[in-house]
Amino acid sequence: MSSLNTESHIEPAPLQLGTLEQCTLVDLTELPRVGFRGQQSAEYLQARGFTLPDAPNRAVTQADGSHVARLSQTEYLILGSLQDRGERIADEQARWELDHSANYLLPREDSHAWLQLSGVCIAEVMAKLCGVDLRCAAFPPGAVAQTSAARINVIVINLGSKGQAAFQILFDRASLEYFKDAVLDAMAEFDGQVLEIEALQ
Amino acid sequence: MKVMTCPLNGPRNISEFTYGGEFKQMPDPQTCSDAEWADYVFNSEDILGVVREWWMHNPSSYWFLVERHTGSDEILRTFDPKEVFNARVEFTAVTAKETAR
Repeated sequence: MSSLNTESHIEPAPLQLGTLEQCTLVDLTELPRVGFRGQQSAEYLQARGFTLPDAPNRAVTQADGSHVARLSQTEYLILGSLQDRGERIADEQARWELDHSANYLLPREDSHAWLQLSGVCIAEVMAKLCGVDLRCAAFPPGAVAQTSAARINVIVINLGSKGQAAFQILFDRASLEYFKDAVLDAMAEFDGQVLEIEALQ
Repeated sequence: MKVMTCPLNGPRNISEFTYGGEFKQMPDPQTCSDAEWADYVFNSEDILGVVREWWMHNPSSYWFLVERHTGSDEILRTFDPKEVFNARVEFTAVTAKETAR
């Protein structure tokens, strides 16, 4: 027979690390980002000076700190750099024109919100929201997962390094408040903190 | 939860996928009869056994093909449509048979 007694809560272990190292959430939705898709998108982006990932679901950080993620054989998502506040990527979006080449612009600022989750506990935080194994052994830096987290579609990009793990998470912009709350709830047991974008400068 | 292996994204929960109907060979729209075209568009075989179907992985909007047994619901194989579609199909307009006057 099942007991109706309330289970005693397991107390979390005392934190050994600084809370910022545990896990930190930053809303980067205000930074420019853009997508390109088409048979000639790779050629176009290489001519514009971008280094592209060699396979779908991979991402590469550029010299200026912006990132290029390859979402399929012919689709790329470009995330602006904090160093120039995404100016280069905003310029790329502005200079694109429809011509006869198979390279089509996908505006992503109005469609996708962007959160950065960083710290040593981020795989554990995401495990509470998402069915895909995002631990470093299965999801190393440079990997991209297009999946479902907190019941909405997300793109998770591991752009961390060995020293500092970081996931860039993109999802439906209209769900920003919902998803941020879901992540914060998952972060609570790890003593997660929210940082403003200015703190990353 | 049941897991299906997406050819692009790898193993994912079945809740991330949408069913897209049976895969059928398209008759040549220029030469087939109206009955053949209507059969292609509207009718399904609905057989018991191994079928070939369209599925989409929702978070990446990626369409692919699946071989599944409709009795056991076992997914036998998933693969990129490029295995089947290896040449571009042009839909050039032909002069309409019936012209409104």
